[in-house]
Amino acid sequence: MTAVHLHGYIDRISVQPGERINFMVSAEGVSRYHAEIVRLINGDRNPAGPGPKEEVVTTTLGGEYPGRFQPICSGSHIVVEDHDGLLNLGAAISIHAFIMPTTPAKGAQAIISRWDPERRAGWALVVDEHGRLALWIGDGGGSPVIAAAPAPLVANVWYSAGASYDRETGRAIVHLAPAVNSVNSALGRVAKLTPPVWLEMQGASLTFHCDARAVIAGWAAGATPAGTLLVHGHYNGKIDRPLIHGRALSVMELAALAGGREPDGRGLIARWDFADGIGDQGIPTDHVTDTSGNDLHGRCINLPARAMTGYNWNGREEHFIHAPAEYGAIHFHDDDLEDAGWEADFELTVPDTMRSAIYAAKVTAGDAIDYIPFVVRPPTGAPSAGIAFLMPTASYMAYSNTQIVFAPSELFVGRSAVLTPDDIYLYEHPELGLSTYDYHSDGSGVCYVSRWRPIPNLRPHHRFDSLLWGLPADLHLIDWLEARGFDYDVITDEDLHREGAALLRPYKVVLTGTHPEYYSAAMLDGMEDYLAAGGRLMYLGGNGFYWVTSYHPGKPHVIEVRKGEGGSRAWQARPGEYFHSTTGERGGLWRNRARAPQKLVGVGFAAQGFDYSTYYRRMPDSHDQRAEFIFEGLPSDEVIGDFGLSEGGAAGHELDRYDLTLGTPPDALLLASSEGHSDNFQRVVEEIFFNYPGAGGTQDSGVRSDIVYFTTAGGGAVFSASSIAWCGSLAHNNYGNNVSRITENVLRRFSSDRPLVET
Amino acid sequence: MTKQELPADRSAIALARFDARTRLVIRPLLTKKVIAEHRRNPLGDHSDALKRVLNYLRRSNMLTPYVVICTKPFREWRLARLSGERGKAPTLIEAPSYNSEAKAMHAVFLKRVEEVMHD
Repeated sequence: MTAVHLHGYIDRISVQPGERINFMVSAEGVSRYHAEIVRLINGDRNPAGPGPKEEVVTTTLGGEYPGRFQPICSGSHIVVEDHDGLLNLGAAISIHAFIMPTTPAKGAQAIISRWDPERRAGWALVVDEHGRLALWIGDGGGSPVIAAAPAPLVANVWYSAGASYDRETGRAIVHLAPAVNSVNSALGRVAKLTPPVWLEMQGASLTFHCDARAVIAGWAAGATPAGTLLVHGHYNGKIDRPLIHGRALSVMELAALAGGREPDGRGLIARWDFADGIGDQGIPTDHVTDTSGNDLHGRCINLPARAMTGYNWNGREEHFIHAPAEYGAIHFHDDDLEDAGWEADFELTVPDTMRSAIYAAKVTAGDAIDYIPFVVRPPTGAPSAGIAFLMPTASYMAYSNTQIVFAPSELFVGRSAVLTPDDIYLYEHPELGLSTYDYHSDGSGVCYVSRWRPIPNLRPHHRFDSLLWGLPADLHLIDWLEARGFDYDVITDEDLHREGAALLRPYKVVLTGTHPEYYSAAMLDGMEDYLAAGGRLMYLGGNGFYWVTSYHPGKPHVIEVRKGEGGSRAWQARPGEYFHSTTGERGGLWRNRARAPQKLVGVGFAAQGFDYSTYYRRMPDSHDQRAEFIFEGLPSDEVIGDFGLSEGGAAGHELDRYDLTLGTPPDALLLASSEGHSDNFQRVVEEIFFNYPGAGGTQDSGVRSDIVYFTTAGGGAVFSASSIAWCGSLAHNNYGNNVSRITENVLRRFSSDRPLVET
Repeated sequence: MTKQELPADRSAIALARFDARTRLVIRPLLTKKVIAEHRRNPLGDHSDALKRVLNYLRRSNMLTPYVVICTKPFREWRLARLSGERGKAPTLIEAPSYNSEAKAMHAVFLKRVEEVMHD
């Protein structure tokens, strides 16, 4: 019996009344499914908590739909636009590129091709199934000319890769020369590498026209059901300045190309400059330019990495916008994905009656179920409440489809990995793509994430390595808001990125989620402007405002992150590749871009640990008259939050700390600090300049969470709970507990018109 | 290690020697008391001896890569062995199943202890 799987995604994550949202669904093992819209209140299935709560919303789309499987074709490549068939050569050809293959032993991969794999016709420069550079020339007659360089390719090393064929003589040449300098490859100049080699052979005389599309980093293999080009033979690695001639270059001419010297222009058909388009704002485009004059331009598919060091990078300039000629490489991956490309099954035009909240399309077939979350935000400029929950969609995306639970991460998290069937589905289906916490199949870090694909781990009930995390953790806040009778609007990171402080200004108070970790410059500016002008923020999470994130200016569904030299990071960008292709800014931690979170919210990332969570003990400032409202109704000596669904305490998972040296406002009040963390909580690496023994919670006082409060100019204020686990404690004892009380005291005061006493 | 077959990455030899030396240090720490401590609380603030044991068990790539699978949310857990290969699911160990996450984590611990004590 086929297992039943239902998976879906949406084209937009935040819509206002009157706007339309499309839902794409794939069904395996069933031919029909039921769909309806539900409003999400709580998703956590923990029987010790309030339990899942949702409300069905009557809309036009509730009902049965026919279901079918929709495939996903991942793998990045370039499709060349060749309307006049200039690349449909049949008599003679030369192909050259600089290449840095990253998985040469992984099977046949095309560097550049116009190849029909069924008929074995056309031409292709490939890494063959033996890991060698090879030329394929075929006429569909069953005996293609295959010429391979005698030496195998070494991974992560730059080469000049050239080949030519002439039907007149039947001569095929393949030329391979290392192009290693001090900085551009995994090995340096001192290591012994194969010297330049070539094969010159006499093959059959073939006329090698074919109908296939010209592709860089793969070969055309038909069409998907949705009609887009299907590509196989995905190449992993970098390609720099490929070119095609319509005549057969000699060994000497190919050797000249290897030395960086252009042959004469006779017969040049195409020459692609992947750095063309680099400007002050980076290279946020899929366009690939042919500089030959024949306009054989290309289009990147599935977001291969741009702004990557080229074969001639000499290591002096690390910002690609200042040395574009040395950044002519694109790094292709066989597991890149921008757009699953599914057809939509149903759509919703948001009615006026749908209040601002978190919703999901709930699709079911028997026991199979999927929730596809989205937000209805209030109309621009017309909020419907004084409180806004700022849903951290950039952070959800950064974690989307992560495989990190399969990595050897036990030592880092202090617990055995606990996987769910959704995790296993993702692992078995690499075509669903990866997260910024993963490595590509070739070992390079994942820097782009798109939400145009199913995200099985962005679901209201999902457990991340058995922990309450992300959307399910944030829903505990939503559940609490409803239980305590607060009206709220929901807005998202994407809205903040686009609209800045104007989005936040109508609100008396903004609430973050439990882990608003990924922030764009525009989002930070917007938050900062809002707070500096009198806005009020309740930062109800931990390790927020941490990673430099950019949105692709032309693709709001895509974010970019470059994990750099510092930070608690799942991967590290290679030298020269710390700058974002989509904006030209330097990636890494906001702390290392002179915007430590302490400057914004008074606290910043201090430690992480995932075994158990603990409590806070009140500090002297908690008895300050100016903070009296925060602790109203609570005994003065009570520990706070020694309970909770996030592993038993309000202080846990990721913790933030007060630090005057990093920008905590000097007048900030330190209300309470956590105690009793285990040695599985270690000080964050960005604070450790030299290792020292005893960086864990039992021996390092810096391993703690600090609850901080301060007022800003214009009547604004910030309350920082400084812990991911905080919201997991809100529901304890039917919301009757001191974490709930403190949160409520602050929220009531912040959302009232009563002025705050300056700290 | 035979003369003929040295690993391409020579640091694997240092790793294997280190692991063998460390096992000799870890074995005497695997007392009934430490094992009982883990059973009582797999995720607690542990004694120094249990911490040292867990640091070894969690980092050693010489041990079978066991994980816990939550087969029924909040009700049922089983163990599995990771394949180490993206695209290839973990191998589920059908029986026994466990009615708490802590029991499943302790079961992983016991399997590793078993491996460390032998060879």
